[in-house]
Amino acid sequence: MSNTPNFREALLAAVPVLRAFALSLSKNADRADDLVQETLVKAWDKQSSFQPGTNLKAWLFTILRNEFYSQMRKRKREVEDTDGSITASLSIHPSQDGSSDLNDFRKALARLPEDQREAIILIGANGFSYEEAAEICGCAVGTIKSRVSRARTRLQEILSIEGEGEFGPDPIAAQVTSAAGVA
Amino acid sequence: MPIQPGRDAAKEANNMKYQSFEKGRKAGGVDEGSDPLGPNSEIGRKLKQYYDDLVSEDIPDRFASLLSQLEQKEEPQNTEKE
Repeated sequence: MSNTPNFREALLAAVPVLRAFALSLSKNADRADDLVQETLVKAWDKQSSFQPGTNLKAWLFTILRNEFYSQMRKRKREVEDTDGSITASLSIHPSQDGSSDLNDFRKALARLPEDQREAIILIGANGFSYEEAAEICGCAVGTIKSRVSRARTRLQEILSIEGEGEFGPDPIAAQVTSAAGVA
Repeated sequence: MPIQPGRDAAKEANNMKYQSFEKGRKAGGVDEGSDPLGPNSEIGRKLKQYYDDLVSEDIPDRFASLLSQLEQKEEPQNTEKE
C-alpha cells in the first residue's frame, strides 16, 4: 500500500514555493506553471525514490531545476531572441502593488545569468544551506558560494545604477542606458 | 621568471577600493564573513520581499486537480501498471 494521501498533500503544500522558484527561473508565468506541473508529475512517478525523512523541498527543487534546464536546452535551438524574451518577461508582473522598489528588484534579478539567479534564490530566498543548494544544482559548495557572491555584487551594481535613472524618460530607455553603463 | 606581483597587487588594490566604495554606499552592507543575505543586507531583504510576494500568489486550481488525478489513477485498481 502506498502512502499517497500524505504524499499528495505534501506535494500540494509545496506548490506555492515550487511556483515561486519556477517563476524566478523562467521569468514567464505560463512556462513556470508548466514547469511546476511537470515537476509534480515527475515527483509522483518517482515517489518511491524519495526517502521519507529527507528534505522533500530540496528533492522537488532538484526535479524542477532539471526539468527547467532540459526545457531550456530544447528551446535554445529554436529561440535566439534572448533580448526579446527578457523584455517580455519584465511585463509578467505589472506593478502589482505599485512598489517601484520591488519592480526594480525584479528587473535587476531578471538580468542576472541563470546560474547566479538560481543560486541567490536558493540561498537567500529559500533558506537552503550552501550544501543543499550545491546538491540541488549538482555542483560544488564553493561554486554556489561564488555564484551567490557574484549575484549579490551584480544586483547592488544594477540597483544603484538604475536608482539614478528613477526620474528618467521611460523604463525602457533607462534600462538600455543602465545596461550600457554596466557593460 | 618570478611572478609579477606589481600588476596583481594593483588589480587587487583596485578591487578593494571598489568594494569599499560599494560598501560605503550601501548602508546595509555587511562583511563577507557574516550572513551576506541576512536581514541586515539590503539585497537580502529585497530578495525575501520579492520571493514572499511570489509565494503568496494565488495558486491555480489546476495543481490540486492534477494531484487528485494522479492519485485516482493509482488507487482504484493497482493491477495495471505502465
